[in-house]
Parts: sequence; structure tokens; C-alpha cells
Amino acid sequence: MTKRIPVLLVLLAILPALIGCQESPAANQPIHKLIITGSSTVAPLIADIGKRFEAQHPDIRVDVQTGGSSRGVADARSGIAHIGMASRALHPQETIDLLATTIAQDGIGLIVHADNPVANLTTQQVIDIYTGKVTNWQSLGGMNAPIVVVNKAEGRATLEIFLHHFHLANSAIKADVVIGDNEHGIKTVAGNPQAIAYVSIGTATYDATAGVPIKLLQLNSIPASLATVQNGTFPLSRPLTLVTTKHPRPLAQTFMTFATSPHVQNLVIQHSFIPLPS
Amino acid sequence: MSSHHQAIQDKLAMGITWSVAMLLMSTFLWLFSDIVIHGISGVSWEFLTARPLNAGREGGIAPILVSTALILMVCMAIALPIGLGTAILLSELTHQFGWMSNLIRRSLDVLAGIPSIVFGLFGNAFFCITLGLGFSIVSGGLTLACMVLPILIRSTEEGFRALPADYRLSAAALGLSQASTLISLLIPAAMPAMLAGFILGLGRAIAETAALIFTSGYVDRMPESLWDSGRALSIHIYDLSMNVPGGNANAYATALVLITLLFIINAGAQAIGHRWSSKRVLVA
Repeated sequence: MTKRIPVLLVLLAILPALIGCQESPAANQPIHKLIITGSSTVAPLIADIGKRFEAQHPDIRVDVQTGGSSRGVADARSGIAHIGMASRALHPQETIDLLATTIAQDGIGLIVHADNPVANLTTQQVIDIYTGKVTNWQSLGGMNAPIVVVNKAEGRATLEIFLHHFHLANSAIKADVVIGDNEHGIKTVAGNPQAIAYVSIGTATYDATAGVPIKLLQLNSIPASLATVQNGTFPLSRPLTLVTTKHPRPLAQTFMTFATSPHVQNLVIQHSFIPLPS
Repeated sequence: MSSHHQAIQDKLAMGITWSVAMLLMSTFLWLFSDIVIHGISGVSWEFLTARPLNAGREGGIAPILVSTALILMVCMAIALPIGLGTAILLSELTHQFGWMSNLIRRSLDVLAGIPSIVFGLFGNAFFCITLGLGFSIVSGGLTLACMVLPILIRSTEEGFRALPADYRLSAAALGLSQASTLISLLIPAAMPAMLAGFILGLGRAIAETAALIFTSGYVDRMPESLWDSGRALSIHIYDLSMNVPGGNANAYATALVLITLLFIINAGAQAIGHRWSSKRVLVA
């Protein structure tokens, strides 16, 4: 038994080593870190853009952290992050001290299970569903089954854009399920033929093509697709933006120039978003 | 008649007990086989040694495995000494610090019941921002250390308490000081319990998502130092399944790797438990 003591001693011995010796990483070559936080919709795209940026600038590390658009805006303002990510335009009161750079477009579409016969909803029908005035699919031309209303959690840009477009207050919404990220909403609907949710059109298109049993609904007879968002006919769209203070650091500026350049267009398309017009 | 009645009762009780146990086991088997069926084709040597590509849909999880290991190392390097010290205070020195050990025990009980997202937010506010450690493996490890301390301390304390009072009396009779009794007798004897607690804590820490997403963070690059942000396995699974369309296949493969690690850790805990119970007699 006593021979186990060294194990503990070793653990105790490496403790200061672990904390002390790492104080100055790579002292021979200064590494600059660019910290980017915010929207979980934008994060995977920016992480990939960051990797391409790192390949061109070996002395720079792009650290991407998630947490939602509100967090991105707050972190950019407080300086915790050099750049914030938001999947919406800035509010008027946010533009006083912040600057948003659009890197791509995304649409927000309503989705139901692939087995749901309903294919189109009007603005009024969407409002009635989300405020609890219509609670059965039958009156919308669907099956005789209750509607399961899926809503987004507070602080999510998708929620704000949805509420704003339909002139709803979040307190008026009668939700059965509250979700976070896009895939969360898609998995909820794929597993429940009575559910309705609203998610990123890019994400929903990707998943529907990959065989996930969901379908995007037409809104006022306008199909929800990347094409209709791109040509401006689909009304529910949003910019994906990078947020900084009015005077960003040179490194942040360089990154944003790169993220809006044609060098990353294929990454934007790969992530099912709509690239900036070139 | 009454014995017949009793036999039926016994059978009924037996049946209920069995079916409840079966229900529990089938839940586990369902979950496990789901992960194996969906994940096994994705796990390969290449998957374990390559870096993630295309937001994790392609490539492997090498940097994520390394980050997870580093986070656990920091966590345990901090939690073990604090845990051992606190457990010794609670079990061996209570007569000197009675009021204090009550306070500590109460704090530990509260800590053990706190949801992990609260640890995550605390870790973000305190370690990342107040102490300026940023999103880093160190921040994540420290946050996890706070989380596993209750398990570690309670299990080590039990280990000390389970030691027969004879040990302490004999040591005192031989004129050993309290310090040398602790170092050469009680700590070695309680070591297996401590290791079991260590492994249980490790099991909880490796499966943690909420405490890590805002502390050690989301970066899936190979960490260059402990001050870098590094993505843990559980966060990788969460992001692939909840945030990356088409990430399901690699989410399953990563989940299979994580659950295999959990199996190994639990087998370790059991092996130590067995050795402990078979080796209760000390060779002083």
C-alpha cells in the first residue's frame, strides 16, 4: 500500500509545473490571438474561416466561442471579445457604439414534419398558431391533431427576427417546446409529426436534402429557399454579422476584410448560407 | 395455506424487482447499442488521430482528445491536494475544528447539488474574466475542479472513517506524532478510497458540457499550451448534434469514443474497489 504514496507525490509535484511553466507560450514567436464570441449559427462558419485565415497568417490564432447573438454583442462592447458574432442586424441603440459587418445572408423558414400535408401558411395563420388561437392542424388543411408549437429561447436572434416580422410579443406566444440551436429545432420537428418550428433556411435545406423528415413551408405562397432569400422575395431574412466597436483593432479589421472577401465564398456556401454579392 | 400465500407474495416481489432491474438495464442497452450501431463505422485510427475539418463533419477528433485530457489533468492536479487536505480535516481533526467541519460539510452538500451550468457561468465570470485566465484549458480545469471536489472529498473522508480506530490508538501507543500517523499509516490505508473518488470524479468531469462551454471553450485547434482554449469531447458532441447540420455521424462516433473512455474509467474504479476489499489488512 505504501508504494502508492509516490503516485500522489508525483501528482503534487506536477501541479506547480503545470501552472508555472506554461506562462509564456512560444516565446520565440509572438502569437496574436483574435477572440470572437457570439451566435451559434455563425460560429461554425467563422471557425472554418478562422482556420483558413490562420493558414495564411501563421502567427495568428483565431479563437471562436459560442453563446448566442446577445452574448456576441455584449462581449464586443465590453472588450471580452475582439469581434462579436450576431445572426441579426444591430438594434438602433446598439449602433451608437458598435459597428456591424455583414458576411452572409440567411433566411428563417417555418418547418413541419415531412408527413404533414400542410404546405403553405399565411402570415395570419402563423400568428394564430403561435398565439394559440388555432390549436389543431385540421383547420389549416392538415390532420386532426393538436399543433405542437416550438419556440426559440430568449436571447436568440432567430426569435427576435420572428417576433419582429409577425409583430408578436414573446409573452403572447403559447409555446409547447422551447429550443436553442437550429439543429435542436429540426430534431424536435423530425421526431414529432404535429410540431411546427422556425429555423435557419440554410440549415433546414441541408438537413431536408440529407433525408431528415422535415419540410420548409411556403409563407404567403412564397417558397422558403436559398434562392428566394437571395433574390429578396422571401420576407424573413437576416444578415449574419461581425460586430466590433467603432474603432476595431487592426487585426480584427484584417480578419473582417478577409471574411468578406471572395476567398471565403465557398465556405459560406458549404455552410448553406447565402454569400455576399461579388 | 399461509405458506402458499407467502410463496405468491415472494414471487410477486421477486417479479417486480426483476422487471425494474431489467427496465434499467434495457434503457442502458438501448442507449448504448444506439451509439454503437451509429458510431462504430465512424471510429477508426484515422478518426482518433486527425483534426476536425468542415466544422467537424469530416476529419477526426485528435485535438479534442488532447484538450479533454489536459482539462482533466488540470482539474485533478488542483482537486486532489485540496480534496485530500479537506478530507483529512473532516475525518481526523474534527475534534479540533468541530464548527468548521460542519460548515465545510454543509458547503459541500450545497456544491454537490448545484447544476453544472451554474458552475460554468461562475467559472466564466471568475476564472475567465476576474482572474483574466480567458477561455482556456486552465479555466475549464479549475471550474471542473470546483465541481468534482464534493465527490472527491466525501469519498476520501469515508475512506478515512472506515479505517479501524485501532490504527490511530496503536500509533498513539507507539508514540507516533499525529503527522507521521497520517503520512505513514492513515493516508496509505485510505488511498484506495481516494483513488475510487478520484475516478468517480473523473467520470463526472469527462462527461461535462455545461461547465466547460463558457470556460475551456469551443476552439477545436490542437492546444499549444494550457492557456489556449480547447474543446472537450462532450462539447464536440453537443455542437455536432445541435448546431452543425450533417454533423450527426461524427457526433455518434465521438459519443462512442467518450462512452468507451467512461467504461475504462469505471472498470478502473471497480478494479481498485476489489483490490481494496481484498487487501484490507495492512502490511505496516
